[in-house]
Amino acid sequence: MKFSENRIYIDQELCTGCKRCSQVCPVDAIEGKQGEPQSVNTDRCVLCGQCIQICSAYASAFDQDIAPREQKLSERKLLPSVKEPLFAAYNEGKAPEVKAALADKELYKMVQCAPAVRVAIAEEFELPLGSLSPGKLAAALRMLGFNSIYDTNFTADLTIMEEGNELIQRLENNGVLPMFTSCCPAWVKYVEQEYPELIPHLSSCKSPMQMAGAMFKTYGAQVAGIDAEKIYSAAVMPCTCKSFEAARPEMNSSGYRDVDAVITTRELAHLIKDAGINFADLPDESFDAPLGTYSGAGNIFCATGGVTEAALRTAYEVIAKEPIPNVDLEFVRGTDGVRTAVVGAGDIELKIAIVSGLKNAVSVLDSIKAGKTDLHFVEVMTCPGGCINGGGQPKLLLPADRAVASEYRSASTYIHDSSIEYRKSHDNPEIKKLYNNYLGKPLGDKSHHLLHTKYTARR
Amino acid sequence: MNTKLNSFVIANPQECIGCKVCEIACAVAHLDKDAKTAGNFDIPVMPRLYLVKTAEVVMPIQCRHCEDAPCANVCSASAITQIDNKILIDKDKCVGCKTCMITCPFGAIELMPIYKDDKPVMQMVLKAETEEGLVEKQAFTASKCDLCADRTEGPACVQACPQKALELIVPQEKKKQRSIDAANRIAASIKSL
Amino acid sequence: MNTFIMANPQKCIGCKACEIACAVAHLDVSVSTAGATALPFIPRMNLVRTPYITMPIQCRQCDDAPCANICAEGAIIHRNGINIVDDDKCIGCKKCMVACPFGMIDIRPKISNGELESQNGLRIQTAEGEQAKEVFVTYKCDLCSGRKGGPACIEVCPAGAFTTMDHSQIITDIRKKRLAAALDIANNQKK
Repeated sequence: MKFSENRIYIDQELCTGCKRCSQVCPVDAIEGKQGEPQSVNTDRCVLCGQCIQICSAYASAFDQDIAPREQKLSERKLLPSVKEPLFAAYNEGKAPEVKAALADKELYKMVQCAPAVRVAIAEEFELPLGSLSPGKLAAALRMLGFNSIYDTNFTADLTIMEEGNELIQRLENNGVLPMFTSCCPAWVKYVEQEYPELIPHLSSCKSPMQMAGAMFKTYGAQVAGIDAEKIYSAAVMPCTCKSFEAARPEMNSSGYRDVDAVITTRELAHLIKDAGINFADLPDESFDAPLGTYSGAGNIFCATGGVTEAALRTAYEVIAKEPIPNVDLEFVRGTDGVRTAVVGAGDIELKIAIVSGLKNAVSVLDSIKAGKTDLHFVEVMTCPGGCINGGGQPKLLLPADRAVASEYRSASTYIHDSSIEYRKSHDNPEIKKLYNNYLGKPLGDKSHHLLHTKYTARR
Repeated sequence: MNTKLNSFVIANPQECIGCKVCEIACAVAHLDKDAKTAGNFDIPVMPRLYLVKTAEVVMPIQCRHCEDAPCANVCSASAITQIDNKILIDKDKCVGCKTCMITCPFGAIELMPIYKDDKPVMQMVLKAETEEGLVEKQAFTASKCDLCADRTEGPACVQACPQKALELIVPQEKKKQRSIDAANRIAASIKSL
Repeated sequence: MNTFIMANPQKCIGCKACEIACAVAHLDVSVSTAGATALPFIPRMNLVRTPYITMPIQCRQCDDAPCANICAEGAIIHRNGINIVDDDKCIGCKKCMVACPFGMIDIRPKISNGELESQNGLRIQTAEGEQAKEVFVTYKCDLCSGRKGGPACIEVCPAGAFTTMDHSQIITDIRKKRLAAALDIANNQKK
């Protein structure tokens, strides 16, 4: 379970220098002249993978002037059984590693999936764009051989508990405001390297994925009655930066590496196909309790504005001491790059900004630096539209289909939210149990140790 | 006698950035299934237009649907015919002799393996001798632009190009428009005298 | 893609040296002079001479060879990149001859060890009475597989009219044409 370098590559043999990747790169990390192979500046790159999604320079099976496909599959750490076309921009895979772990009977394998996975993975099996398939996803993971089918949505709820209370604490104690969300690792890396002076604005909360990893090898070990050392903690993410996040030195508060391997939605589809599983015909199964039980609020993290909406559903109730009148907060949804809202809760008027697409954060950050805002909370998602359009999601072949997929994946996200019994994170019975039986209270000592983190200036 | 000329697609090298979305769109349009994501693509990508990329020029090249198509005239299997103002190759008649491929002055024809339902289509009888004995051989066909004859929206490449660098030329309309534009330019210069 | 040989009609002088070389190359006995053999002369290519063109036509080594795919006995197989006839399987049914779009298949008497072979059962009425009929088999270009020096026709042609069209040659030619077409458009725009 070693970590190789996590980075995005551009295959010099395949790149035609069209520069569509550098057009979508939010941090100008792609360098090269028009018409010549491009390269990634790893100091600037935040691993968002939007370049991977847009790249159309594919390797022709008939081109004898390039390295053979087997060699490329091996270099990219893709399973040899992968059939899909290879493109110039790519990230290094972890599926072979996970496959080996799945075959290891000594390991107790726990897996978590991000909310975005369940609204997109079916696309890799020729089901309609944005098909909602949490049931089949759970069934497939079980068939692959994972022992506990847990879920990032549970820790999304946990993140709301911790982060909601953290915001309230900052509001009440003159803390650093506005508070920034910290669940997007590319955004975090960006702040660390471009705006290190604003690091104190970042919530100290880990991302849901990292919270889950820490929980697996502590609370999860207890629940399963096994030695934490034997636990293999895997995560399926729509994101090409989560592997970088999992490898951050400080992400080991369980006493072990909290997340051992991260694979993307596409790589999970590879594993499923490699195992000969017919995804479309799978029956609907459930995720395992306790760490796989989630509320609708946890699920909407994958759409831009989702973290904010989930946070408000809880924070409103804490501040105003009454339930929020309407659980569906349409006014924070949408796709515009920067959206603002003012939410009256009790005596407070919460001023919120939601940023979709990292490029759009610059104006907000500069205003904050200049002291020109009175915002309380800023949500930033690096990928336009949120994680549903992450660098590791199923890659649309035609440009026109990307907007269609985004729309349907978003719609499925909110449909799933509406269909779940518990709409608010604090109503999740397993969350209540976790605090009662294990963590104590939000922002308590145990939470602080396991669920909160520190950041590093990179300049 | 049918005097309507065959349309064809041509690229503008000034706009082309060499991204290959046209090749992908073409290959996707000719699959026998709906493929939306890279993960849906289980066979080689087989476009019918081909990006030329050198220091001097970057643009895709494809069939011109010639009126006196040399490919059709040289085909000994009578596999190439004009249907609905398109020069089309019948893959079931094609024997893979490659004569059309070397005859085409534009290099617009490739020899491509045949797949059906994501599986290779094998030849009826011809087998290859290998160390493991006789093995089936995959069927091949000559392949070229068919102006997306089976597609209601027309050529997929034209639709997909992010730079709008591909144009479907309807020759007689183009010609007429050019004449009208030329006449209008003259008219405009007269007004200014 | 199978390799094949193609002649350039602009160079061909119609001398038929290629036909002779082909026939001689496939005799499994050594022949040096015209008078040295009584065996039938069986080239696997034919010079075509019309008022408009003179050139030899030869097998295209089709990738989906119709001769092979129509064969009742599976007697034409793909070996080392060449479509080749297995004489022992051929029954002389002529389906391949009819199928070949280039007219490159001929059915002629089989020659083994410098001699014609007789059929086991089939007898034929001739002017001299009933005789065993010779074995007939399919003759087609085999790219002189196994011959030292490669294809005999290419070696002998005094006009250098043949080119070996192998995969990389074809690809090179095609790429040149595409580039020329692209430059043509690009340069036209500049004018």
